[in-house]
Amino acid sequence: MTVNSALRTPGSGARGPSRRSVLQGALGAGTLLSAGALSSCAGSVASATSSGTLVRIWDLLGGSDGEIMGEIVDGVREELPHVTIDRTTLAWGAPYYTKLAMASTGGRAPEAAVLHLSRLIGYAPGGLLEPFDLDLLRQVGITESDFPAALWERALFQDELYALPLDTHPFITFYNPAIAEPAGLLNPDGTLVEIDNPDSLLDAGRAMAEVTGAEGFSYGYLSDPAQPWRMFWGFYGQTGADFDFTPGQQVGFDDGAAVEVLEFMQSMLDGTVAASNSDYGGAIANFSTEQTGLIFSGVWEKTSLQGAIPDLGGATVPIIFGTPTAFGDSHSYVLPRQLVANPERREATYEVLGAILKRGLRWADAGHIPSLVPVVESPEYQDLVPQRNYAQAADWIFLDPPVWFAGSGSDFQNRMSQAMQTALQGLGTAQDAVDMMIGEMNTFLETPAPA
Amino acid sequence: MSATTSDASAATPTSAPSAGRKDLRRSLREAERRAEQLHSGRSGYWFLLPFAVVFLVFLVWPIIYGIWMSLTDRTLIGTDPGFVGLANFIEAFGDAQVWQTLWQTVLFTVGSTIPLVLVAMVMALLVFTGLPGQWLWRFAFFASFLLPVAVVTQVWAWMYQPDLGLFNTWLGALGLDPVGWLTDPNWAMIAIIAATVWWTVGFNFLLYLAALQAIPEHLYEAAAIDGAGAWRRLFSITIPQLGRTTWLVLALQILASLKVFDQIYLLTGGGPNGATRSILLYIYDTGFVNYRLGYASAISYIFFALIVILSLTRFFGGRKEA
Repeated sequence: MTVNSALRTPGSGARGPSRRSVLQGALGAGTLLSAGALSSCAGSVASATSSGTLVRIWDLLGGSDGEIMGEIVDGVREELPHVTIDRTTLAWGAPYYTKLAMASTGGRAPEAAVLHLSRLIGYAPGGLLEPFDLDLLRQVGITESDFPAALWERALFQDELYALPLDTHPFITFYNPAIAEPAGLLNPDGTLVEIDNPDSLLDAGRAMAEVTGAEGFSYGYLSDPAQPWRMFWGFYGQTGADFDFTPGQQVGFDDGAAVEVLEFMQSMLDGTVAASNSDYGGAIANFSTEQTGLIFSGVWEKTSLQGAIPDLGGATVPIIFGTPTAFGDSHSYVLPRQLVANPERREATYEVLGAILKRGLRWADAGHIPSLVPVVESPEYQDLVPQRNYAQAADWIFLDPPVWFAGSGSDFQNRMSQAMQTALQGLGTAQDAVDMMIGEMNTFLETPAPA
Repeated sequence: MSATTSDASAATPTSAPSAGRKDLRRSLREAERRAEQLHSGRSGYWFLLPFAVVFLVFLVWPIIYGIWMSLTDRTLIGTDPGFVGLANFIEAFGDAQVWQTLWQTVLFTVGSTIPLVLVAMVMALLVFTGLPGQWLWRFAFFASFLLPVAVVTQVWAWMYQPDLGLFNTWLGALGLDPVGWLTDPNWAMIAIIAATVWWTVGFNFLLYLAALQAIPEHLYEAAAIDGAGAWRRLFSITIPQLGRTTWLVLALQILASLKVFDQIYLLTGGGPNGATRSILLYIYDTGFVNYRLGYASAISYIFFALIVILSLTRFFGGRKEA
């Protein structure tokens, strides 16, 4: 802008800009830029110099849950005035894990970072993480007995605690009572009726479709790197079928159960029960505008969906194949490896993480199920609707197979989802898709593990 | 370009003044001597230094380091990499994914380069033949090139959207079935190519327009006097005169298309079923998502070697052309 105005100054005449006017312009622009840079730094400079021990935390909470986490951290800042918390939110998914891995390898990582529990097995063996000191945790009031046993178990590696679960965030269903009720799908207390077999689920979808005049369910999966896998793997878990992912060996996978699940998903995407080609955003749009009565989605969408449908209901994904499981993951805090670890900061980090975990009730507002059992069992949590109606999913949580290449934001989930997409669109058979998935699984298992 | 250089070379000898030839010769000799001093002096190297340092640190050293890395099993999260010799290269040559993604990269390059050259040429000819409102056409055809890739992919993702998108709405209005532009393996690459052509054709258009303006007017005059019609002039003067520019556009376009990454990463992530995964996407996934830096380096050096071979054939081919 400054350069442009310099070009137009009368002194420069018809021959275009004189050298002096351009230099003046450039100087002016430079001054503006550096002033901008300084003012944008001002915030972080102020917080860094305020006082106390610095604790840097990285997370990937970019949605509405990120705002709630911001409030939680503000609360912790007030509670612990001797600590300076520097929270950085990075983009979700593969890029986040690339950055975290690089920072840890270089030894210049933040004091703590959020990691999906399903990714732990890819990180802990490489020496990128430090285990938690259970005594220090006890000092800040966190003990093993506060967590669901299955969650704690999954946070261990070689009998040491490498991850401190903040929540579980399952893949569930949200429903619109105004549509579920006339469809005859609500209990007197407003909860969703129990649906325990595939045909009943399809019937429920048709009943809702009659009410909406469009489709019954929303399920966005097109071009999504995770959605097909989330539903598939949850239902696969429900069948109780075995699986075995041992690097260097052929995958152990129940081909028959997988085909059954995928064929069910195909039958659901028939244009009546659910749209045959919906993407993530489209599914949310259709549910929010009452074109559908129920959406298969993650708990993290609770806040935004509630904005459209204030009396939003929630329930676990119906157990239609027998075994109660709920696909999901857990945001957990880890201590990335630092070349020069500062004991004072480490201690402050425990304090901060303990304080964040204890604010689980506020975190529940984001839809996530707090990891601490006492929080979930508290009367305050039991007053939260729809959270209390799906909180049971925490006990059924079913993560990705424990192998280095799987987990949230992984290439594995993306490849699996892509392999299913053709079948889900009705352009291919379930058997072909499952064959492709098994082929991809074996390719991953043959690949040498990075650590 | 060619016109200006020939003008310049024609101008120099005739511009010498006829008087004082001896003075001129003396001053020329003087200048030569000074130039020799400058050549033999060391001071020039200091001027080279800033560039040389940047060149060494950010280009030469990474290339050497990358070659070393491709000979190790280095990962992003492992601590001590071991030397594995040519194992990564052997694995890459046997990796079906390498060949598949390389093939898809070639498909994209061929599929995008042809329209990007032809459409650009046609657009430049249309503007040059004197449509009214020249500046508007020039601006409109070039404007999309100025958009950042994130904006382009956002706009096109909406147009390709299966339910609400522009294209499927049109198809619906015509009574045709919707197409899964980005989700059907048969269509996804075509959709990416269409978006790419829309986005980058403006640059080639500009090169062609500049070349058209450099064709000497007297050729057309002479042809007109000889009774050549508009089509004859187009095929016998304009297109042959654009030959050098076409070679340039073609070479730049092939190199740019081979390096495709951003729009695929943002539109499909390489899907559906890996149908749009280019080799750079595979290298990125291998190195930064699956953490196998050594192997990813080996694949990128194989690809690098292919590009170098291609550039050299073009270089020698181009020299013959000139």
